[in-house]
Amino acid sequence: MNPVKRALIIVTCLSIAYVTAQAQQLQIKTHTLKNGMKIIVEEDRSIPNVSLYIFYRIGSRNERPGTTGLSHFFEHMMFNGAKKYGPKQFDQVMEAAGGSNNAYTSRDLTVYQDRFPGSTLELIFDLEADRIANLSFDPKVIESERGVVASERRSSVDNNNFGILFEQLWATAFTAHPYQWPVVGWMVDIENWKMDDLKRHFEMGYSPSNATMVVCGDVKAEEIFKLAEKYIEPISAHAPPPPVTTSEPEQLGERRVSVSKFAQLPLLMLGYHVPQSTSPDLYALQVLQTILFSGQSSRMYQRIVDKDQLALFINGGTGGFSFDPTLFTITAQPKAGIQPEAVERAIYEELDRVKTQLVGDQELEKAKNILLANFYRQLKTIDGKANTIGSYEVFFGDYRKLFSAPEDYSKVTKDDLKRVAQKYFSEKNRTVATLIPEKPQEVNSK
Amino acid sequence: MFKLCLMTLLVVLLSAPAPIAAQSSGLKLPPLKKIKLKNGMTLLLMEQHEVPLISFSFIVRAGAVADPAGKEGLAGLTAGLLRKGTKTRTADEVSAELDFIGGQFSSGTGVDYTSGRAEFVKKDLSRGLDLFADLLINPTFPEDEVTKLVKQSVDGIKAAKDQAQGVIGVYFNSYLYGNHPYGRATNGDEKSLAAVTRDDVVKFYQTYYTPSNTILAVVGDFNSTEMEKILLDKFGAIPAKTSPALNLPEVSAAQGKRLLLIDKPDSTQTYYRIGNIGITRDNPDRVYINVINTLFGGRFTSMLNDALRVGSGLTYGAGSSFDQRKARGPFYISTYTRNATTEKAIDMTLEILKRLHEKGITEEDLKSAKNYIKGQFPPQIETNDQLASLIAQIEFFGLDERDINDFYGKIDAMTMADAQRVIRQYFPLDNLVFVLIGKSSEIENIAKKYVPKIDTRSISQPGF
Repeated sequence: MNPVKRALIIVTCLSIAYVTAQAQQLQIKTHTLKNGMKIIVEEDRSIPNVSLYIFYRIGSRNERPGTTGLSHFFEHMMFNGAKKYGPKQFDQVMEAAGGSNNAYTSRDLTVYQDRFPGSTLELIFDLEADRIANLSFDPKVIESERGVVASERRSSVDNNNFGILFEQLWATAFTAHPYQWPVVGWMVDIENWKMDDLKRHFEMGYSPSNATMVVCGDVKAEEIFKLAEKYIEPISAHAPPPPVTTSEPEQLGERRVSVSKFAQLPLLMLGYHVPQSTSPDLYALQVLQTILFSGQSSRMYQRIVDKDQLALFINGGTGGFSFDPTLFTITAQPKAGIQPEAVERAIYEELDRVKTQLVGDQELEKAKNILLANFYRQLKTIDGKANTIGSYEVFFGDYRKLFSAPEDYSKVTKDDLKRVAQKYFSEKNRTVATLIPEKPQEVNSK
Repeated sequence: MFKLCLMTLLVVLLSAPAPIAAQSSGLKLPPLKKIKLKNGMTLLLMEQHEVPLISFSFIVRAGAVADPAGKEGLAGLTAGLLRKGTKTRTADEVSAELDFIGGQFSSGTGVDYTSGRAEFVKKDLSRGLDLFADLLINPTFPEDEVTKLVKQSVDGIKAAKDQAQGVIGVYFNSYLYGNHPYGRATNGDEKSLAAVTRDDVVKFYQTYYTPSNTILAVVGDFNSTEMEKILLDKFGAIPAKTSPALNLPEVSAAQGKRLLLIDKPDSTQTYYRIGNIGITRDNPDRVYINVINTLFGGRFTSMLNDALRVGSGLTYGAGSSFDQRKARGPFYISTYTRNATTEKAIDMTLEILKRLHEKGITEEDLKSAKNYIKGQFPPQIETNDQLASLIAQIEFFGLDERDINDFYGKIDAMTMADAQRVIRQYFPLDNLVFVLIGKSSEIENIAKKYVPKIDTRSISQPGF
C-alpha cells in the first residue's frame, strides 16, 4: 500500500469515531405519557426556535383498494378545524404567533411538523392537542380539500413524467403488498372516498399510543414533558392500526411496463425488491448505493453520464427507511436520440461488475466518508435533527440506533457488497418501466 | 406528499433582507471581517464554532446578463465547467478527490451573478481548500468537456420543458422583459447553447473571473486570523485585473395587458403567472414590501392561498413573489388549476389583487405578518452555508450588515400608512402581463377574455 492511501484510511477511521461522538453529544431526554405517546426532546439553543414533529405510524400501507390516498388526504384534514380552533384557525393562529407548519405522508408514516419561536410553545401544544382529540369533519370542508388533493395529484403525477412512471413502476413491481398504490392515491379513489372512510381512518391511526413526538431546539425537556402531560396525556389511547399481514411474494421473473405520452425525452426506471430497513443488509445496500450513484466520481455517473454519454443524469437508491420490503430504484433520463434500452444495457453491465468483482479499498473508503459526511449534515439544523431522531425511533424502535449508524457503516466489507449485489440485482427480481415519447404535435409558430 | 410545497411561496422570504438569532428586540449577525486583497478580491470571514464544518460561498459579478446575444447560457456553462479539469487535475481526479473527503462543490449562474459553494469537514480543510482554489483559479476547460456539457445542457432544456412548472418562470421573464437582459433564459435555450464554443468559455472566464470581480465568503469553525493567512496564500498571488462593468438598462413597468399562451397538449392543468416589473434588491421599502407580500401571497394563510386553495379547492397552492435583483426584478402571482377551472381561478386571482388595492390590510394582519416573518427568520440563517451565501450576496448588492441588523427594527416600525403606500406603489393592478402554459384547445378562448389579442407558441418550439 502506498503511503498516501494509508494516510487516507487513517483519516477515515478518525472520522467514524468523531461523528459517533458528535451524534452521542446530542442532549436527548425521553418521557412516555400514560396514554402511550413517547416524547423525545433534544435541547439546542443555537437559534431561538423550535421544531416539533409528531410521527404517526400510519401511511398508505395501512390503506385498502377503494380508499387509496386516504392517509395523505387525512394529513390535509388535520389542518381544517377542530373543536377549539375552527376551520382555518390552526394556520391563522400559528402564523400570527410566528410559527409555521407542514406535514408529509409516506407509505409508512404521517408526520406533522411545527416550526416556531420558543416563546409560543404552550400555544403549539394547545393547537396540537385540539386536533388530535377533537378533529371536526365538515362535509363542505372535505369537498373543498378533495379538490386541493386532486390538484396536488395532477401536479405531482399526471403532469409530471417522473411521477407517472414512478407510479407505474411500483404498481407493477408489487402485486400483493400495499406498496403497490401511490401515497397520493388513485384519482378515482380521491374522487370517491366518503366521510365514514375518513372517520374510520382517524379512529384507526390517530391514537396517541401510535405516535411519537420529537422536539428539538430552544426548549427545556422538563417544560416539554410538563406541557405534554397537561395537553396530550388526557387524550385517551385506543387500538392501533391492525398489522399489515400481506407480504409481497417473491418475484419470479422480470416485469416490464411502459407509458406512452407527449414528451421530448424518454425516461427509464428500474426497481429491485430489497428488504425493510431493519434488515442486516441495510448498511451494505447504502454503501453500495453510494458507490454506484453518489457524486460525479460514482460508477454510474462516470459510465453512463460522463464516458458513454447515454443519459442526462442517473440516480438510485432505496429512498429512505421502510417498515416493509421495498424497492431499490434506479432512474435515468436518456439523452435525445438514445434508446432507453442502450441505457438499460449499460446499467446492467455496471451492476454485473459489482456482482462479480470486489470494489477497491479506496472506493469503499470513499463511500463510507460520503455517508459519514452526509450523516453529519442531516444533523446541522434543529429541523433535520427532529426528523432524523424521529425516523430512527419509529423505524428501528429506538432513536439510539442513530448513534451506532457511523459504526454500522464502517463494518461493511467488500464481500458484503458483492453478496448483496448478487442477492438483489438479479434479472428475475427487477421491474423495468419506460416512458416513450409520443411524437410532438405540429409546431404552431406565432 | 407534503401539505404544501413551500418553495414557491417562500422565495420572497429567502431572497429578502433578514437578521440573525437573538432576542426579538435585536437580531445581529455575528462579527464579520471584510478584507480587500491587493489584487482586488473581497474576502468575508465569519467564525461559527458550533459545528466542525467550513462553508465557502463565492460570487463572480457576471451572471446571465453578461451572456453575449445569441450565446445565452455561456455564463452557466462556464460555471458548470469549473470542475471539469484544471492545470493539475483532470475532471475525474477533481470528482474523486472531492468525493473521497465527503466534500461538496457546486457552481451555477443566476441572472445577476455567478455563484458557487463548497463545504468541507474541518479536519479536511487543507485538502478541500486546495481543491476549491484550484477550481476557481486554474480551470482549463478541455474541449471534450465543453462539447459534452453543451450537449447535456441542450437536452436538459428539452427535458425541462416536459414539466410546465419548471419552465414557466423562464417563459414569464422572457415575455415580461423582452429584449432587456433580464428577458434572457438564464441557462440558455436549445439554439443559443449549441452556438457556444470553447473559445467563448475561455474568453468569458478570462474577462469576468478576475480578483476584483470576485467575492469569497467563508463561515465556520476556524480562527479568522489564521484563515486570512491561508486565503491570502491561496488567492493573494493572482495578478490584479479588472472586469468590464455590466451596465443594465433601466427597466420600466409594462403598460396595459399582454398575454402569452404556451400550448402543451398533454396538460390537464393550466399553469400561470401574472405580474409586472417589481423591485431592486436595495429598494428602501423592501422590508415593508416583504410584509405586504407575506400577507398577499407569501405564506399558507395568505390572501391568494386562502382563496384559491383553502376556500375553494381550486389548486394545491397559490402565491406571489418579488425577485429582488440589481435592476428591477419581476413580481408575479403563481398558481395552477385544472383546465376546466382556469377561468374561475384567474378571475379569483384578479379579484384578490383588486381587493388588496381596495380594502388593504387590517391592523391585525399587519401584526400577524410581522410576527410571522420574525418568527420564521432564524432558521434561514441557522447553518454556515446559509450565512456564507447571505453575506456574499449582501456584499454583491452593495449592502452591509445593517441589511440584517436593522431588519427587525424596520419590521417593528412599519405602520398602516406604510402598508397603504406600499400596496399602491408596488403592487400592479391594471397593467398586467400573463403567461399561461396549458392545453390550448381547451383554454385559448378563456385566455382571450383577459386580452383579446393574445400571443401564442408551442412548448416544443425551441427557445422561450
